Amino acid sequence: MKETAFLRKNAVVLGGKLRDRRLSMRKGLFYGLLFTSPAILGFILFTLGPMVASLALSLTDYNVFKDHTSFVGFDHYVNLFSGEDDLFYPSLGVTFYFVVLRVPAVILLSFAIALLLNLNVRGRAVFRTIIYLPSIVPAVASAMIWLWLLNPDLGLVNAALRWLHLPTSNWLFSEGSVIPSVVLTTLWGIGGTVIIFLAGLSGIPMQYYEAIEVDGGGWYRKLRHITIPMVTPTIFFNTIMTIIGSFQVFNEAYILTQGGPNNKSLFYVFYLWRTGFRDTEMGYASALAWVLFVIILFFTFIVFRTSKTWVHYEGGERA
Amino acid sequence: MRQSKFAITAGYAALLSISALFIIPFVWLLRSSLMDLSQIFTMPPEWIPKPFHWDNFHRALTILPFGTFFTNTLIIVAGVLVGTVATSSIAAFGFSRIRWKGRDAVFGILMSSMMLPAAVTLIPSFLGWKMLGFYDTYYPLIVPAYFGGGVFNIFLLRQFYFTIPRDFDEAAFVDGATYFQIYLRVILPLSRSVLIVVALFSFLGSWNDFMGPLIYVKSDSLFTLALGLQMFQGTYTAQWDLLMAASAAVVLPCVVVFLIGQRYFLEGITLTGLKG
Amino acid sequence: MPRSRKSLSVLIALLLVVVAILSACSKSGSSPASENSSAAPADSASSSESSGGEGPGEPITLRMTVWGAPEEVAAYKSAIAKFEAKYPNITVKLQHIPTDYDTKLTTMVAGNDEPDIAQMESASIAFPLAEQGKFYNLQDFLSADSEITADRLVPNITYSLEPGNVIGLGPGPETFVLYYNEDIFKDAGMAPPPARASEAWTWEEFVEAAKKLTIDNKGRNASDPGFDPKNIKQYGVNFGTWWGNYSNFVYSNGGDFLSEDGKTFALNQPAAVEALQKIADLINVHHVAPSPVQAKNIPATNVALQTKKVAMVVDGQWASAGLAQSKVHYNVGALPVMKQPMTTVVSGMFSMFKSTKHPQEAWELMKALLDPEAAIDLLTAGTWMPAYRDWYTEPALIAKWTENLPSRPSGYKDAVIDVLLNNSHQTPTGYVKNFNKIMDIVNPALDKVWLGQQTAQEALDAIAAKAQAQVQGRRDVNP
Repeated sequence: MKETAFLRKNAVVLGGKLRDRRLSMRKGLFYGLLFTSPAILGFILFTLGPMVASLALSLTDYNVFKDHTSFVGFDHYVNLFSGEDDLFYPSLGVTFYFVVLRVPAVILLSFAIALLLNLNVRGRAVFRTIIYLPSIVPAVASAMIWLWLLNPDLGLVNAALRWLHLPTSNWLFSEGSVIPSVVLTTLWGIGGTVIIFLAGLSGIPMQYYEAIEVDGGGWYRKLRHITIPMVTPTIFFNTIMTIIGSFQVFNEAYILTQGGPNNKSLFYVFYLWRTGFRDTEMGYASALAWVLFVIILFFTFIVFRTSKTWVHYEGGERA
Repeated sequence: MRQSKFAITAGYAALLSISALFIIPFVWLLRSSLMDLSQIFTMPPEWIPKPFHWDNFHRALTILPFGTFFTNTLIIVAGVLVGTVATSSIAAFGFSRIRWKGRDAVFGILMSSMMLPAAVTLIPSFLGWKMLGFYDTYYPLIVPAYFGGGVFNIFLLRQFYFTIPRDFDEAAFVDGATYFQIYLRVILPLSRSVLIVVALFSFLGSWNDFMGPLIYVKSDSLFTLALGLQMFQGTYTAQWDLLMAASAAVVLPCVVVFLIGQRYFLEGITLTGLKG
Repeated sequence: MPRSRKSLSVLIALLLVVVAILSACSKSGSSPASENSSAAPADSASSSESSGGEGPGEPITLRMTVWGAPEEVAAYKSAIAKFEAKYPNITVKLQHIPTDYDTKLTTMVAGNDEPDIAQMESASIAFPLAEQGKFYNLQDFLSADSEITADRLVPNITYSLEPGNVIGLGPGPETFVLYYNEDIFKDAGMAPPPARASEAWTWEEFVEAAKKLTIDNKGRNASDPGFDPKNIKQYGVNFGTWWGNYSNFVYSNGGDFLSEDGKTFALNQPAAVEALQKIADLINVHHVAPSPVQAKNIPATNVALQTKKVAMVVDGQWASAGLAQSKVHYNVGALPVMKQPMTTVVSGMFSMFKSTKHPQEAWELMKALLDPEAAIDLLTAGTWMPAYRDWYTEPALIAKWTENLPSRPSGYKDAVIDVLLNNSHQTPTGYVKNFNKIMDIVNPALDKVWLGQQTAQEALDAIAAKAQAQVQGRRDVNP
């Protein structure tokens, strides 16, 4: 403890900021590239090739089973945006609806649960494990549970609602409620997000809270002035990852709904997969993928841009 | 930190009710794994197996060579775990604690690899690995972990490295420390909790992954547990009792690993010198 | 900003270099593959020569991909063991693909790693592969073979790309039947559904029975005036609303998916519409069937039967395997009849890739797997029905798979045998070209019908033009 205090003082005394910056910028490029080289190399070796290949294939009529592939230019993209493919806009709409509902729900709920799990209570190890459990139950098994719970006529949830004399719903099986229902089923799997929040919360130095307690501040002030600002880097991370993940929702349509009823859960990536693998039109599927790529890139970029105003890094960094 | 009695009680109540909701799938899995087919789906549902079919586990675990699958899974998981923890933290250091021209642009490009649906890169990736002669080996599953260990982990670690006050490494710099020493002596100890999270995620991720082994492996002597589980789903009907028992058997080690792993981010950063 | 732009342009340049290298690589990679394929015909010629005699030839390895549960795979393995004993020079490598079969097979094809024989599903990538000439025409083998002919196989298990071009043979046909809980009928004092197709219920008799067996929480049935459809305790019938189920009744009513010449979308024609509407009425008018559940693989149907949530279930005969294992007094009746008795026959199939170097040996293997004797475990378990006609006509053979088995209750024999031989229809996936794309349009429309938002006529007329645009003809009609 002493040592760090000493180091910190030292740094200030020497006024090292300016010197250090010059120093670190000069050598920075070399060391920066050195430290990141495994990741950059990995990207070039394993990821870039397939990505470029799919971009190139999106300009062809590539079909795995066909011996000949011909260049079609931007035909696929024209086909998509002109509305000639009449599932493109609907599946995009369904996916946007899902993202808009799910991202805030996941962030708020997992943050709230993380706060609870961060309380210094007995058995929190068990509570933490329980919250994470649904994330490790195999998807087929948990899909089964949902289908069984949410079955309109035979399911447990409606039975409970009827017992309480509350209105029932057709859940996954009607057009209006299918997306909210799918969002609900995915909320069970927020354990990972909660864990990351917990890691972020554990990084908040205790003495910050103690300072507020000295001033006589309550939980709200702690939350508002310490906890939330200090976890903004984690909120930022979880938001970005939830956005990227939600746009690519697939399993729920694949296992639970098959896109129905009436295409109201025809998620974009499910449609893409169906086009590429069932209908074997991989070139067209690649075009679909690259449209989504640009959309996700756009929203990620926006969040990154706004982060300067709300994400607080103790290290003074601006992402 | 002091906590009021009221906060603790309210917190307990909230935790208990949320846990009750979140434990349902797991309890359902466990109780189904001990039931015969006729009891699994009864309406209204029954929660206690009658009688307990412990033999489900025996049947499920002997019908397939689960010992081999287990060994295979361990090989992959260990390989991925080591690679991911080592290289993702090094890369994250380079993307956060070192200032260099183009850093954020390069990071952005790496990030973009998460934004393209995997369905369209599956076949090109497969062809690439096959061309290298690594079809039907674990290389495609393990080797990438040694090259950054996935952007998700790098991004996660980068976010945490950003929160560590810069004075720390600047002071060390002045004392003549190299970047590598700063990484090893300053940053790594301070980021123990999040490294445990990364390790945990990479363990669970490769433990449960069945798509990777499915595509890159063809000999069933190289199958993994997650892939073995999939076998219980038949053409038209699944053997739910065996599927549930096998699933429970595969999930239980994860629960143990988690219970142990989470202890370490309980402690978190309070171990370090920040308190002074 | 200018700086980052510069680094960006460097990156783009780097990207281009990588692309150039990659494309060069893929070119050099593709040439050995094409050499391979050009070498294949020569090879197969020599191998067919060698296989002319039955004696021990050079060692040969055949590769085969299958899906399925462990007991299905075990049945294949025992059949393969017998085959290998008969042909000591042949080794068969069975590759079990437990999940995402099509995705895996597609990557295998992309990597020139096709098996010699693959189990295929008519509703998925079998026909896309066949259309690109990836499969042998099995008709040639059937015509040349002395042991097995097309006549020996039961109807509707051969899949043809076009007349005369057989791309797959189904080893285990499946019909549809009406399962019922015997106790429910006994308790209600009602006669159970007849087993023989000739005596089968008419649709009206079926609806009447279903009404009497639909009970609300006050014990009133659906034909009582005070019946409360909002609080149903027991449904008369469960009816999964996927094409396999409703196709039985579309055919029974004289309807079809396409017109006879294959030129016109026909689900919006009166016969089909009437059948579909009658099924939807079970849910929305008579309240004797629960709302549709479109999710795959949900066991609710059989389980519902067992737990007395429903009295009858329309389902494929494969459900017998699951029912046999659960403690329920169930039995099997013939499907109700709209105009004539009818069942759709669905089945997986075996196909032979053209890339095989040993077509003759692969054919022998395929024959060995078609033999009901080889699949006897699957037949007795209730998973499959036999592929050979004599197993439906010779009493000794019939007994082998229909008598004294928990998976084969008393009504079973009558409910499936005559129907399969005399009143069965090929699955629409086998003859409707572009089936999946047509159904992508039809399914959402039918969802509205099952949910009671539109009549079958309205919903199908609304999409008829779009569906018509996807119609490409029939595989069983010469263009």
